[in-house]
Amino acid sequence: MRGLSKSFGQVRAVSDLSFTVEPGSVTGFLGPNGAGKTTTLRMVLGLMRPDAGTATFDGAPYTALAAPLRTVGAVLETAFHPARSGRNHLRVYCRAAGLPLSRADDVLVQVGLADAGSRRAGGYSLGMRQRLALATALLGDPAVLVLDEPANGLDPEGIQWLRGFLRHLAHDQGRTILVSSHLLSEVEQTVDRVVIVGAGRLVREGSMEQLRSGADGAGTVLVRTPEVTRFAELLRAQGVGVTTEDGTLTVAGSTPAEVGRRAFAAGIELHELRSHTSGLEEIYFQLTSGSEQFAAPSPVAQEAIR
Amino acid sequence: MIRLVRAEWTKLFTTRVWLGLLLGACLMVAGFSALLTGFAGSSQNGQPGLPPVGDPRFEQMAFAVSTNASVLFLILGIIGMTQEYRHRTATPTFLTEPRRWRVVVAKLIAYALVAIPFALLVLAVNVLVVSVYAGARGAAPSLSGDNLEVLATSGLALVIYAVIGVGIGALLRNQVGAIVGGLVYLFVVEPVIRSIPATSGAYKWMPGGGLEAMTATFQGPDLLGAWEGGLLLVGYGLLAALLGTLLAVRRDVV
Repeated sequence: MRGLSKSFGQVRAVSDLSFTVEPGSVTGFLGPNGAGKTTTLRMVLGLMRPDAGTATFDGAPYTALAAPLRTVGAVLETAFHPARSGRNHLRVYCRAAGLPLSRADDVLVQVGLADAGSRRAGGYSLGMRQRLALATALLGDPAVLVLDEPANGLDPEGIQWLRGFLRHLAHDQGRTILVSSHLLSEVEQTVDRVVIVGAGRLVREGSMEQLRSGADGAGTVLVRTPEVTRFAELLRAQGVGVTTEDGTLTVAGSTPAEVGRRAFAAGIELHELRSHTSGLEEIYFQLTSGSEQFAAPSPVAQEAIR
Repeated sequence: MIRLVRAEWTKLFTTRVWLGLLLGACLMVAGFSALLTGFAGSSQNGQPGLPPVGDPRFEQMAFAVSTNASVLFLILGIIGMTQEYRHRTATPTFLTEPRRWRVVVAKLIAYALVAIPFALLVLAVNVLVVSVYAGARGAAPSLSGDNLEVLATSGLALVIYAVIGVGIGALLRNQVGAIVGGLVYLFVVEPVIRSIPATSGAYKWMPGGGLEAMTATFQGPDLLGAWEGGLLLVGYGLLAALLGTLLAVRRDVV
């Protein structure tokens, strides 16, 4: 697989969206709920018909691929018959794609489900279901993986495992991965590039470095010190935005290193110094704010109305 | 295509739906065969009821009992198709074969072929019960001539109903809706049309009329000939399959 490019125009949930996924990299497909991520991926995979535009894998639309399962692996939702065992579920698709049945056992081992393979899939936990879906995507040993919210419903341990697994698939095995998520922090450590969408439109496309460079100094820093008033006045005098609350300072538009340097220079004792929100997250919120499909007022605002 | 057909068989035989339906069909046919044979030759209020054991009319009625299982073969086909939508496996299925018409055609072939041994088993149960019971009551029917023809057409009808089921499933996609709709049609709509004089003329053109024509049991209204009835039934199966395929290809998979 050398290149993957897709473009759409004027589709209900997705309007005129164009972007390219570079081969051999992990691309995060980010956006709030309802931004059109799943719709986009379903059109890319030929399950939905776009009103306009095309999506191609190395020049060919998905529906024209000679061996789709060997070319592209996809996790769209955890879909299986509850009474069928995980292994038999995989065997169905081995048969349909002309793969040897032993592939079912191979991928079960790969995702760590070897012991649960003969159990009914209906009895699987949410994390095991996500693993089974991932196993289905890996059956044909594809060079391209398309994953829709693979971390949904995973516990912290499962997310940790998924991160490591995706890094392994991409960096050690050289696969091209497009992974969607509504949380930047979920994929922040895994992806090389990001495509951010809001309300079905492209908001930002670029490498993580580009996003990070714009993010420096955009975060907020939390500081606890016995000399709250003095430090706050000092920072305000230096032109830094500060709010105080119960002996805690919240410094906007800075980094922990920057705040620590200023405190050290003034000889102020610090008890806690940590990043409250990373600049990356701030930027992500700014980029996607107001583009939620069903924006709910914050609880505070609701209280105020009452 | 052979790969897709084999995948459908794997799907079918890795859950237990087929076993339940097949056992149900065998029990149903065994029960009806026994009842029919038991009441053969009895008279109701002085009027002659069923023809007696040994009468060729009885024998052909007894060997057409298998067609009662047509409803279960219909359900087999409906479940085979609609489970993909019910359990959302349509997504991985159509990802594996994006040319969706091939999936529907594979299902039609897979279920038609699976229905053959299933139908043979149901026929065997039918023949066994009737032969043993009627034999005990005096005359076991012979497996020749018209009797054999009735058996063959009954089996064929069962296979066609499984194919119609796949087509209906592709049309309606909702499993419960398709099954309930199928049952209401078979047990309410068709009998009503058949019994009302104004509409009974149309009955011979309906699937049930075709089925009855194939296995003519001497009690129906105006019907087509056996072969015409069979062709009509095959036509309905292909029509349902064609419409189902066209819709499956056009509709978005959500």
